[in-house]
Amino acid sequence: MVLKRFNILIAGVGGQGLLTLGELIGNAAVESGVDVTIAEVHGLSQRGGSVVVHVRLGLGSSPVIPKGAADLVIGLEAIETARYIDYANKESLVVMDSFIWPPPLSKHPSLKQIVSEVSKRVNLFVVEASRIAREELKAVVTANVILLGCSLALSKELYSYISLEAAIKAVKRVFKGKAIEVNEKALIRGYSEGERLGAKRRNAQ
Amino acid sequence: MVEKYLLLEKGSIALLLGNEAIARAAIEAGVGFAAAYPGTPSTEIVESLAKVAREVGMHVEWSTNEKVAFEAAYAASIAGVRALVAMKHVGLNVASDILMSSAYTGVNSGLLIVSADDPSQHSSQNEQDNRWYGLLSHLPVIEPWCPRNAYSLTKISYEISEKYRLPIILRTTTRLSHTRQPIVYEANAPREVKTRGSFKKDVERYVLVPAHSRKLKEALMKKWAEIREDLGVEPFISIENPGLRKAIVASGISYAHVDEALDLMNMRNDFTLIRVSMPVPLPTKPMKELLSYARRILVVEELDPVVELQLSKIAVEEGASVEVHGKDYVPANFELNLEIVYKSIKAFLGEGPSAPWSGVEPVNLEPPIPPRPPTLCPGCSHRSTFYLARVAASKVGVRDPIYTGDIGCYTLGYLPPFRVQDTSLEMGGSIGVAHGLSLVVENMVIAVIGDSTFYHAGLPPSINVVYNGGRALILVLDNSYTAMTGHQPHPGTGLTATGEEVKKILIEDLLKSMGFKTYVIDPMNVREALGEFVKAYREHLSGQHVAIVSRMKCALEVLRAARARGITLPSYRVTDNCTGCMACVNLLGCPAIIVEEDSQKPQILEEACAGCGLCAYVCPYSAIIVSREGGVGWRELWS
Repeated sequence: MVLKRFNILIAGVGGQGLLTLGELIGNAAVESGVDVTIAEVHGLSQRGGSVVVHVRLGLGSSPVIPKGAADLVIGLEAIETARYIDYANKESLVVMDSFIWPPPLSKHPSLKQIVSEVSKRVNLFVVEASRIAREELKAVVTANVILLGCSLALSKELYSYISLEAAIKAVKRVFKGKAIEVNEKALIRGYSEGERLGAKRRNAQ
Repeated sequence: MVEKYLLLEKGSIALLLGNEAIARAAIEAGVGFAAAYPGTPSTEIVESLAKVAREVGMHVEWSTNEKVAFEAAYAASIAGVRALVAMKHVGLNVASDILMSSAYTGVNSGLLIVSADDPSQHSSQNEQDNRWYGLLSHLPVIEPWCPRNAYSLTKISYEISEKYRLPIILRTTTRLSHTRQPIVYEANAPREVKTRGSFKKDVERYVLVPAHSRKLKEALMKKWAEIREDLGVEPFISIENPGLRKAIVASGISYAHVDEALDLMNMRNDFTLIRVSMPVPLPTKPMKELLSYARRILVVEELDPVVELQLSKIAVEEGASVEVHGKDYVPANFELNLEIVYKSIKAFLGEGPSAPWSGVEPVNLEPPIPPRPPTLCPGCSHRSTFYLARVAASKVGVRDPIYTGDIGCYTLGYLPPFRVQDTSLEMGGSIGVAHGLSLVVENMVIAVIGDSTFYHAGLPPSINVVYNGGRALILVLDNSYTAMTGHQPHPGTGLTATGEEVKKILIEDLLKSMGFKTYVIDPMNVREALGEFVKAYREHLSGQHVAIVSRMKCALEVLRAARARGITLPSYRVTDNCTGCMACVNLLGCPAIIVEEDSQKPQILEEACAGCGLCAYVCPYSAIIVSREGGVGWRELWS
């Protein structure tokens, strides 16, 4: 039997909640009875470094996604999304925050340049997740969960592994106290944003 | 959140890191004593045990270093309490002396030594393969292939530890330690954990004078041979499709990659597949069987050819006409993954290195995607101290001082704009190396060492500086925690691993008692601290033994405490007085200060700023001002 796994690469900057997002998707998989491995790849420091999390849904134990095998890339920051784009293939869906956080003392391409280059390669959706998190939910840390909500709305294949309901249940497993409520909101708000962006794209085509 | 699910009942499913799976298994195994010094990728094992220690009734401690942790766990075990000691791979170097002796005396209740290796050196100075320690010490090495397997092998390891009365080395790697997998709990935590025992005196066993240890060595070698003979069975060795001419032998996590690669190639039935969960000593019997039918064997293992060499030796002894391959197809450097193993197997089959995946072209822009090495956080006390160290050196006219460095977040001080780590080798190395250099070079030598590292391995070399007339100045960066590994408490924090308050052992007291004139400074009071720094440097140059303890809490802990207590920290902004001189950017490299692409002036990211105020101090035009005052009590959070 050839195993089919659904591969999600989460890219961003340490401190943005990548590990939490991986744990959230993983718990949604547990809620859905889907097997999963989640590899957390981070370097020396707590914060500020480049971090990637490999989430692989479905049977199998090898934890790291091969380059070109990511079905979905969730980018919490533009430069990091661009850095790891070779994990995606032509068919991949990339859901990226419009947030850009350049490393200190660096010359870097602009968000516009990155969006233009990445969209030539993959099916890219740029989401104003950080803005929505900050302005509407008053919690900038929920941008990660908003992006998951978007991804669930934009990827039927992801949804076939984990539903919005399973993700909401997972929020209760992963967060404590007040954080549960705001992250549930972020998930639902992200889902509706994803539906909106999907419809907009379809209308444009 | 591990405390939420580590104690769930039998039958529950929890999404556990490899390290947490080991912790849960230790709880189920009735471990009564766990000790460690934190070190990536091993930390979460004892950290999660610490969180539930009281509930479980287990003694859990952060020891001052790995050797001490090992000795403590070993002692519990010989006194009849099941014990666990965990460390990163290089930690076992520190504990290697007691490791060797523990094999000679053996243990009574089970003792598990978790060695978490770091192939690819994600957060380490090297990538040694600690399976060699098994061959060196004659102790069995168990190597799981996924977190679920780590959970079950941990429990089994206690059984074999007690059966053979030997400590067992459980070797994980970063990828296994830091991968989550759903785990179904097979058993409940025991109602009562044995935490008290008794020490039965036996000098012939526990006093390793030559007359005793020679006998013990013979007994150890007998056990070693027995283990090699007895344990060639499940779960230590698993065999799929026996009898084929082509075979793959995969050890530890490499099996996970082989397993999936063969599925992708649709070639699962073309190979005899042997999963090795005990690479050391490699059991003889199943290998002899394999050699009786296989003609081409590929050994897939991470880092060194530990299984390959043992298998090759057995093949020679058997006179088998077989090709044993391994490191000629599988890289010996860095961690393996599905992609690498897929290509290795293809190459072994004589096929091209084609892979079934093809990624899109990397983004190629001008300017290119900049690297993002880890940086000192906004508000990091080390940034302030490094700035002070440099300014003070130039104020007293010291040219080109040498900064010997050490292991911690502050190792990042080697980067511009600070460049205050000219070496970083191993725990405590800053002071010993500074001592030697100070006796042979003309430059001023400053040893830069963190608080936790100082307790770990900084004391003997500090004593040595004074005793042997070294000229090193010792600069201890005290941010109150073992910060890099996630803020574990240490002897200067005033807390134990399980949160009990204890008397602080102050670094300045230790240094003073050795004969160092010791300055304690608060680098957040930049002006005052600079004065003290200059005084200390001058005194050092006049021939005194001088040490500086720079004390300011880790910014991440300050942010956490501020959130928890509802205290607002100040934040800063750049005003129109800014001339765009970039002093703040170039002197401090703070991630909260950014320069947008179309702007000639820096700005401060309010959500990233921790409000330390160092940038306001260094701005020559007083163009950085407080944009939001801190709430009552904010300043105390930092000290």
